[in-house]
This record gives sequence, structure tokens and C-alpha cells, in this order.
Amino acid sequence: MTTIMVVDDEFLVADVLAFALEDEGYMVVRASNGRKGLDVFQRDRPALVITDFMMPVMNGLEFASAIKSRPESADLPIILISGAQADIARQNGHLFAAVFDKPFRVEEIIATVISFVGRPH
Amino acid sequence: MEQLPRIESGIAGLDTLLNGGLVAGSSYIIQGRPGSGKTIFANQIAFHHAAHGGRVLFATLLSETHERLFQFLSTLSFFDRERIGREMQFVSAFDTLQSEGLDEVVKLLRREISRQKASVLIVDGVLNARSRADTAIDTKKFIAELQGHAAFAGCTVLFLTSARLDDGSPEHTMVDGVIELGDDLTGARSVRRLNLRKTRGSGAISGLHEFEITENGIVIYPRLEAVLGRPSVPDDLDLGRTSTGVDDVDRLIGGGLQKGSSTLLIGPSGSGKTSLGISFVSQATVDEPGLIFGFYESEERLKRKASALGFGLAQKIEDGAVHVLWQPTTERLLDALGHRLLNAVRQKNIKRVLIDSLGGIARAAVRSNRVTEFFTALIGELRAMGVTVIATWEIRDMFDSNAQAPALELSSIFDNLILLRFIEDQTQLRRILTVIKVRDSEYDPSFHEMVLNQDGIRLNAPGEPSARQLEASRPRLGG
Repeated sequence: MTTIMVVDDEFLVADVLAFALEDEGYMVVRASNGRKGLDVFQRDRPALVITDFMMPVMNGLEFASAIKSRPESADLPIILISGAQADIARQNGHLFAAVFDKPFRVEEIIATVISFVGRPH
Repeated sequence: MEQLPRIESGIAGLDTLLNGGLVAGSSYIIQGRPGSGKTIFANQIAFHHAAHGGRVLFATLLSETHERLFQFLSTLSFFDRERIGREMQFVSAFDTLQSEGLDEVVKLLRREISRQKASVLIVDGVLNARSRADTAIDTKKFIAELQGHAAFAGCTVLFLTSARLDDGSPEHTMVDGVIELGDDLTGARSVRRLNLRKTRGSGAISGLHEFEITENGIVIYPRLEAVLGRPSVPDDLDLGRTSTGVDDVDRLIGGGLQKGSSTLLIGPSGSGKTSLGISFVSQATVDEPGLIFGFYESEERLKRKASALGFGLAQKIEDGAVHVLWQPTTERLLDALGHRLLNAVRQKNIKRVLIDSLGGIARAAVRSNRVTEFFTALIGELRAMGVTVIATWEIRDMFDSNAQAPALELSSIFDNLILLRFIEDQTQLRRILTVIKVRDSEYDPSFHEMVLNQDGIRLNAPGEPSARQLEASRPRLGG
């Protein structure tokens, strides 16, 4: 089972993504901020991470840096979905495999996920 | 007396009402039904604060996404996407509230305040916090704890809620200020109004104030009589005289209008009120400019009217000696009109004003019981600025003695009253001018025929029409 992690403090956004990914056949785990995301990451070892930028406790940038700094997950694809801060994200392009502006098209994100980790198995 | 440090709100009119702005480190409840403008209100303050070096934490306890909020805010001029994620953080505590409860939300926000070094915290959706709480006391505790942490960090807090919290509610007792946004319905018309229900440590102007939501966000028009309870500059008594532009009228009132005085011209449609007013305002010069604050007659029509009487109004307008502020006939707000007039007078250093007509302003009043106070403040402020005012008041009936004259209180605001009316004389309709009152001056109260032609305005000597005839057509003041 391919596991995808969705990290977003806005539950509606997280819901939309999680449902779409589940419909596609992925297993989805969720967290509402970067700190919680690291705990879930440790436990569930997802194949790909989709994260928001602006979140309480630990933002998407700090979260992605933390994941990338670990040797075992240095190559893990991370997709950033972001509102106004897409430029901040693009300045840190080495952290993210893809960056999407909000509002995003769910199909495009699904297609991007498939291109990185393949269809669920 | 110590002045508390303030945070400028950036909302036009609000800082006047709050005596300089929000008290830094204080907490406020902003309440109003959905659609009342709370979100714009809070974001306008937030963006203004961020634009002036502050840092903002915007925490929602609602499920609506921030992106929807940004889309909707992007239609307003204060919105600046560049600040989001930098000086301004928008975070959702919805999930924490749902899964872990109010205490965890307080912890989360406390940490976020220091992490973001926020100087303004906005909590949207306190109603949700209320429904989550087991009792009302819990929300009180939530608000108390959160504002305690915030105050310690020098952070000002705005709690937004669509709940109709009343004065005795525990939430209200906790916060320093309560600002309610709502509206007044009169007939088919709805006017937005803001109510400062509680303002601790502030010397604020409480009560109801009208506001609009424009593309620049919220614009509040403080109740004129509340802001100008006392004229902002002292009343200078004797400033000398100034001409009405009609020698004969000047003679009747003792040598012209006293500078800084106010005169009400009362009469039916067509009796010559506006013409006399134009004569007066055409006396303006570039050094002492005049203003026409008009409702019904456009600038072009005024120019034509003036030119038919031989007044060089068009030239005066071109020279900048006379300014015309024509009010479109869309829905108007009473205080907005008052502030617009006073601002124009201040900006252009206007010395004579024609208000044509007073009824045009009065009709904008949603609550007619404050019209007298409003005009008292408006006329008082103009007098204090040394502006000579002529205002017109239209009465409905042309001859009837029971004419709809302005209320007695309204007449008493004005220093001078001049009545214009028609009489039938054989086959002719004649205009009759009568001076009813001139404050602190001798005047001639006899009836005079007023003649308008291409040479201007003149008065004929009294005598022709019989006194009895005139007496019958004299409206009673105070109707």
C-alpha cells in the first residue's frame, strides 16, 4: 500500500486532498502542522508528502527542511501547496519536488503524485 | 492623566471614535451577524498594522479556508498578498479545537504569538469556541487566558464572533472593548452602523455611527453631533459683514450678512431661493472661496441659472473662486454628507457656503429624531470656522399659510431667517421677500417684492400688495 501524507492546518483543504487520494487508491495519513507531521512521518513512513506552507507550530518550510535533513528521507518527494508564499517556496526549490498555488486543481496534484510514486499498489 | 499607547486602526473614522486607535495590548470583541463586515473590519486593521511595521497572527476556529478569504479580500485595496506568510500569518486552529479542545487551542495560540512575535492577534469564530465549550464559563476562561497571554506579550487581540452576545454575557465582561457591526432598516433601505458598546480606558465616542463598505474597505462616519459636540475652534464673535450680492437685501438686514452667520431661506419651489443663494456665493473670491453644496441642480443648470441673472458664476468656478460639490441622488448617509461638506470647507479654506437644500441632507437621515442635533453641530462648526452659510428649505405650498415650514428647532439654529413666497396680484404672480429674523441686528421686517431679471435681483419698495393678502400667505414657523 502506497502511503501519502497530507499536512495542512486547514482541515477542509486536507479533506479534499485526502479523499481524492483515497479514491485513487492511496493510503492517506494526516497531520495539522509540521511538528505533528514529523511524528506521523516517523510512524507511517509515507512515500510522498504534500504540505501546506503557513501552519502553526512548524510551517511547511521548516517541516520540509527537517525531513530532508534526515539521510533516510533526503530523497523523499515533497509537494508544497501554498497560497501567497509560492515565491518563498520557489526560492527553496531544492526542498520541493513540486509547488502548487492555492487554489489548486486536485487532478493536477493527483497526476503529479502519480508521476513521482506511480499508481498505488 | 496618562494616555495609553494606541494602535492605529487604519479604518477611516474609527481612530477618531476610539480617541486615537485601539489600546495596545487590550482585547476587543467584534460582533455582528454574518455579512456585517467583521472580517473586512479585522483584516483592514491587520493589513494596516502589518504595513506599518507590526506583525499579525490571524487564527481561525472556522472551517472556511484561508484561500477563500484571500480571494474575497483581494477585491479590496488594502489587501496585499505579499505580506501573507511574512508579517502576517494565517493559521487554522479548527482541527486542534475539534480533536483536543479549548485548552489546547489556548496553548497553540500562546506559542504562536511568541513564535510569530505577533503584536496583533485576531481570533475568528469565537462562536465555535462557545459551542465547543461545555458551559459559558469555559468560553470566559478561554478568552481570559488567551488575552492574558496576549497582554503579557504586548499583543492586541480581536475576537470575531457572529454570536449576539449581550451586555451581561461573561465574554463581554472579560474584554476591554466591544464593537458591534449591524444595520438599521428603514423602509426598503438598509444602512450599516457600528456600535461602540464598551470601550475601556479610552475616552471613546460611544453610540451608533454609520459606515459603508467601499473598495477601500470600511469607512465610518462618526455621528457629527457627537464628534463636534463643541465646535473644534472657538466662536469668533464679530467678523464684520459680507454682501448677499443683492444691495437691496443687504440694506434690509442692516448692511449685509454677518460673517460666520447662517441664514435659512424658506420658500416654495421657484420662489428664488437658489437664485439668491447663487448671488451670495458669486461674491466669493479666489482668496475667500465659496462652495455650493447642492442636491437637485447640477453644475450646468446652476451656471445657466446664474447667467440668466447676470451673475458670473461660470467664470468664478473656472477661476477656482467657487467650488461645486454636487451630491448624486443615490442613497446617502447623513454623517457622510456632513463630513464631506466640512472636509471640503477645511481643504479649500472656504469662506461662504450655499447648501441647496437642507432638505436634501435631512432626507438622508435614517433616524429623523437626530436631525436637529446634526444641523446644530454642522452649522456650529461652520460658524466656528468663520464660514458664512446660506441654506435653502423648500416648503410645499405656494400660498397656504399652513405651509410645511421647518420645525421650530431647526429655525432656531439659524441666525437669520428669510421667507420667500408667491402672491397672486391680478393676473401676475409676484415673489415676496420678508426678513423674519436677524440675530443681534436691526432689520426691516416689511414685505418687498423680489424681482429677478437679467440684471440680477432687486427688491421693489413695499406697498403694492395688500398686507392682508400677504398675511394670509405667511407660513407659520414651527409647524
